[in-house]
Amino acid sequence: MPCRLWPPVNKEEYKGVWVYLEHDGAKLKDVALELLGKARDLASKRGNAPVGGVLIAGTDEMAQEAIYHGADEVVIVVNPELKVYTPYEYANAIAKVVAKYKPEIFLIGATKRGRELAAFVANTLTTGITADCTALEVDPKTGDLLQIRPTFGGTQMATIRTPHRRPQMASVRPGVFPKPPRDPNRKGKIIHETVELNSRKTAFLGAEKRIEHDIADLPPIESSDVVVAGGRGLGSADGFKLLAELAKLLNGTVGASLMAVRAGWAPHTRQVGQTGKTIRPKLYIAVGISGAVQHMMGIQEAKYIVAINSDPNAPIVQNSDYAVIGDYKQIVPLLIEEIKRAKGIIQQ
Amino acid sequence: MKFVVLTKAAVPLSSAIRIDPKTGTLIREGVPLSVNQWDRDAVEFALKLRDKYGGEVIAISMAPPSGIPALESLIGMGVDRAILATDRAFAGADTWATSFVLAKTIEKYVPDYTLVIAGEETIDSTTAHVGAQVASHLNIPYVYYVYDAEIHGNKVRVRRFLEDEGVDEFYEMDLPALISVAKGTQMPREISLLRKINARDRIMQATNKELGLDPECVGLKGSPTFVAGQTGATFPPRKRKIFAGDPRESVKALVEELKKEGLL
Ligand SMILES: Cc1cc2nc3c(=O)[nH]c(=O)nc-3n(C[C@H](O)[C@H](O)[C@H](O)COP(=O)(O)OP(=O)(O)OC[C@H]3O[C@@H](n4cnc5c(N)ncnc54)[C@H](O)[C@@H]3O)c2cc1C
Ligand SMILES: Nc1ncnc2c1ncn2[C@@H]1O[C@H](COP(=O)(O)O)[C@@H](O)[C@H]1O
Repeated sequence: MPCRLWPPVNKEEYKGVWVYLEHDGAKLKDVALELLGKARDLASKRGNAPVGGVLIAGTDEMAQEAIYHGADEVVIVVNPELKVYTPYEYANAIAKVVAKYKPEIFLIGATKRGRELAAFVANTLTTGITADCTALEVDPKTGDLLQIRPTFGGTQMATIRTPHRRPQMASVRPGVFPKPPRDPNRKGKIIHETVELNSRKTAFLGAEKRIEHDIADLPPIESSDVVVAGGRGLGSADGFKLLAELAKLLNGTVGASLMAVRAGWAPHTRQVGQTGKTIRPKLYIAVGISGAVQHMMGIQEAKYIVAINSDPNAPIVQNSDYAVIGDYKQIVPLLIEEIKRAKGIIQQ
Repeated sequence: MKFVVLTKAAVPLSSAIRIDPKTGTLIREGVPLSVNQWDRDAVEFALKLRDKYGGEVIAISMAPPSGIPALESLIGMGVDRAILATDRAFAGADTWATSFVLAKTIEKYVPDYTLVIAGEETIDSTTAHVGAQVASHLNIPYVYYVYDAEIHGNKVRVRRFLEDEGVDEFYEMDLPALISVAKGTQMPREISLLRKINARDRIMQATNKELGLDPECVGLKGSPTFVAGQTGATFPPRKRKIFAGDPRESVKALVEELKKEGLL
């Protein structure tokens, strides 16, 4: 007999793949759209099951965007008590919507807030959850969701199942799945729900913008096709100026390893890797980065990896498409010059 | 005031890991365990609150008996007492079953707790689930990534940095509540060897005989998720063209390749 605290589940009742639609007050987060793309893919493998979304304190425009990106129905929770985000109240509200609509699979973007909410939602629904999945598949035999995630410092990949409980829940970091194309002809249903809060236990008192001083005025790493990243091998914050010059030339941006972030040369928002961000640029140039597994976890899906490293035995050299061995202080300026020449910015 | 700090005796990343082929879970028995690095931030945070408001810091951990040395080091840091929830039946727990045991241990041994303090995440599981799940089992409000807190009567005000948005946020919660402490934000104090030597007296072990939990709700059996397979991480194959030697020639060769692939 299973744990008596778990209410019995009739698996047949659970249908569809739903996504928590996080937004910033003005528009949906990219990760919500990425998850809708994945949800469609999973739903197609579950007999074209419906794709749904849970949107708290969002607008009809946001719901419409979700529909254009793959949702069939979106529930907007309109309770005025939920206008501003507080973890306990949001988690309870999400759980209530999910309990009512009974999706077979429920996905949450592992942003900072998503990570905060996900496990509480799962517990409230007395189901399991897998954090930070890098792949999601449907087991062709059982129809169960296969939740695949790196474990143990990224040295192992585990496949996790939730065979007896529903919904099957997983969180996924931003940037892991591609954003699906926007189809303004897609149709879907928007449902407004008021969810009763049992009690309010948290009050939001306010927020203060932090002035993080960034390397340069460059776009975020999640959305750039070219990322030039620096590590401890740069030796100083000055090295990042050189990387920014290269990045600008390639219409790209600058990223960093954990060690460069720890040294204070780059803000944490630019960190690539297991405890930083997962990115999928066309071109990743790692400068003075050794290529530890935790770092490589973040760039597995980069189309091309270039390494610039003084040590021919650095692990990254064996895990890149092209490696230039040498001191970056010499290599990067030469590379800038050669690229300018190739682009016709300077003459032969 | 009673500050309960949740600390995991984790498998250090440097150690060789062994996986139980039957359950796919990490074998923790016989592996030297040490306090999850990020839980030291949580402990430091708890100690600062106690030093300011008075009361007691109680560390609670679920681990095999090999987790005791980790708790001793926390007593050495200044934690007043520690409770180790330990039973063979707890082995193989996922985060649901872990948080269930932790919540029940709190309810039984520290029913009048003021604030539960967790670390941001563990180095060997990195889920950041257990804190929120303990809050859910206890049905108390919670806020993650906190780095500053003040207690006002029966409420706690917290400040946290929400990195995605680049903002500091301020919340107020009814007590009792749970917070997770942002990793790397505290300066964990030194371990006093003198305190550590006598630590055993301050550590209590609770097995399921004492806790009396339904064996179906703990450990592997009480886990809604289970590991169906585990493999070493592999990376997609790369071209591995290496240019060494004259820097200018190397760079020229690289640029040729990038042009060929349409990257410039
Ligand atoms: C739980 C956990 C999570 C982690 N998460 C992350 C993560 O998200 N992201 C991350 O990056 N790391 C992460 N790490 C850390 C990771 O293990 C490595 O320690 C880190 O990536 C190393 O950073 P690095 O390559 O900059 O530094 P190093 O390993 O010190 O490498 C520096 C490199 O620079 C080269 N170099 C030196 N001088 C020059 C020069 N003049 N020109 C060219 N090359 C030069 C050296 O040959 C060397 O290869 C994590 C670790 C743990 C335990
Ligand atoms: N076995 C455990 N015993 C006590 N606390 C734990 C345990 N596992 C996790 N925690 C707490 O929950 C936090 C998040 O852990 P995790 O969900 O594993 O990333 C940790 O930093 C600890 O504070």
